[in-house]
Amino acid sequence: MSVASASIQFFTRLLRYRTKCAVPFHAASRILISPYLPQVFGGNKVLLGTCAQPLRQSRQQMAHRQQSWGQICRDRLAETGSLRSEEKVTVYFINRDGRKITTSSAKGDSLLDLVVEQNLDIEGFGACEGTLACSTCHVILDQKVYNQLGPITDEENDMLDLAFGLTDTSRLGCQVCLSRDLEGITVRVPDGVNDMRRSDDAGPTL
Amino acid sequence: MMRKTVTTKLLGSMRGFPSHRMNYAVNAVARELIKSRELEKDELRPLYMDFQATTPMDPRVLDAMLPYQVNYYGNPHSRTHAYGWESESAMEKARKQVADLIAADPREIVFTSGATESNNMSIKGVARFYKSKKKHVITTQTEHKCVLDSCRVLEAEGFDITYLPVKTNGLVDLQLLEETIRQDTSLVSVMTVNNEIGVRQPVEDIGRICRSRNVFFHTDAAQAVGKIPINVSDWKVDLMSISGHKIYGPKGVGALYVRRRPRVRMEPLQNGGGQERGLRSGTVPTPLAVGLGAACDIAQQELEYDHSRVSMLANRLVRKIMSEIPDVVMNGDPEQRYPGCINLSFAYVEGESLLMALKDVALSSGSACTSASLEPSYVLRAIGTDEDLAHSSIRFGIGRFSTEAEVDYTADKCIQQVKRLREMSPLWEMVQEGIDLKSIKWTQH
Repeated sequence: MSVASASIQFFTRLLRYRTKCAVPFHAASRILISPYLPQVFGGNKVLLGTCAQPLRQSRQQMAHRQQSWGQICRDRLAETGSLRSEEKVTVYFINRDGRKITTSSAKGDSLLDLVVEQNLDIEGFGACEGTLACSTCHVILDQKVYNQLGPITDEENDMLDLAFGLTDTSRLGCQVCLSRDLEGITVRVPDGVNDMRRSDDAGPTL
Repeated sequence: MMRKTVTTKLLGSMRGFPSHRMNYAVNAVARELIKSRELEKDELRPLYMDFQATTPMDPRVLDAMLPYQVNYYGNPHSRTHAYGWESESAMEKARKQVADLIAADPREIVFTSGATESNNMSIKGVARFYKSKKKHVITTQTEHKCVLDSCRVLEAEGFDITYLPVKTNGLVDLQLLEETIRQDTSLVSVMTVNNEIGVRQPVEDIGRICRSRNVFFHTDAAQAVGKIPINVSDWKVDLMSISGHKIYGPKGVGALYVRRRPRVRMEPLQNGGGQERGLRSGTVPTPLAVGLGAACDIAQQELEYDHSRVSMLANRLVRKIMSEIPDVVMNGDPEQRYPGCINLSFAYVEGESLLMALKDVALSSGSACTSASLEPSYVLRAIGTDEDLAHSSIRFGIGRFSTEAEVDYTADKCIQQVKRLREMSPLWEMVQEGIDLKSIKWTQH
């Protein structure tokens, strides 16, 4: 794992921690994160050309997104009855190298939560932290599971359009919420990701 | 020259002759005669009556485009400077203008190089994306060549294609279509308005059938956009091809409507920088896109007026010709059609000879793509027109800039020439004597 992606994963983890605990944004972490904001939100449509925008604005926008995300998580947990469900759902991941990873996570978690919490070694997964601003948590499901999950929002579809190796049973991991019905599902990680952070390195527009 | 012409007239009027060699000779002579040449000095250009092939650019479109050809030259995908931003906003405005004309969302419009590319993208793209589960594509026999050829390519890749026959009026049999849809059908592609005979397919019904059977529906609307009112939601169309130069816009630009909900997924033909939602990589040509947008905007404003005017002129032409000469057949459904495209068959007259006789009017015997081959049009063959009649057909295209005087001149000239050619025709003579041509056994010398 390169230094850059390690540091990004560190900050993503940091952000996630904040979301979960609903702790006010710590001033120090803010300073640390701010240079990474354009990277973390590189794929965001709203924030395209982040470099030109005042940082404060993007930070506000992020805070807003995270608040609503926190709310969604709490709602999900409320649905399941308790604030922290003890019930575990088993998920099998098939990683890029073909290796099968057996893992489990609490009901109500998304596939992205699971990957982050269990610290699964999937390169470049979840760059935008589940804010529907990238396609890096793209996973491929079985037709049956795909049908079971029901309709997809336009926002998710927009991001899926940009995903690498899209199939007709593709979903974004951050939008798939684990429930009892999904016990034992198999999730395939596609061969590659379209990561805006990488194309940023490629230089100016063609 | 004179001798050659006479030979053609005589040979030409004897179409239906069973000898292939003779036919070949006729073709060779005709090809020689309609070979392209420059206009001589002081020679007037012919009247333009071929609006299905292409249309002149509306000056208002040119006005909108010019600044982007000269001053605003930024790459619309450059995000780091003002040159890029101004081009981008112009491109997005154009996208909205295109979307408004067909009642779509701007995010559903992808700029392409023209309807041919749009058709290729949608047919190959959708079929290939779903190929693991769905292997069947349905189209009709009267589609444009680029649709048929895309289907041929898919066939070579192992797809199963159904080329639906059409009824004698040129329309698709809806019941047959419904029966043809299978479990593994991924796409149905039927054009809105036919480019050769002008019939308008029952797109709303096809859309309804496709939606109920969970099949994507693509329509090539190059000849329909801006000429008849279009609402992609009412029609339940999932993909729609649009061309710039058929609606008084610039050549070399077109658009593809790709429905967002339910989402249509497709494999891009062109990969690269991920422009146009990754569906069509490559820098969007801002001036052309602006031109297409302006053309759509003008078309929307003028649609009603244009349509009634074109209908009036078309009626005038048809009535004049039909009242003066007998044995003229109008190809395609007389009701379900776009009035600006009139395809007439003049029995006992060879189409190419008539075209040559009408050399001061720019007309064509079918679509521009196939006019070089001198083969009878496959569209006319598909609607069951006799070989003889198919050879004697001419397409009259009327558009925004046609005038009454032009229509009258064309009609008069046409009447005069048809009469003249028929007088020369032995077939016409025989028919006048009451001989049934079908009963004649032609012998080969």
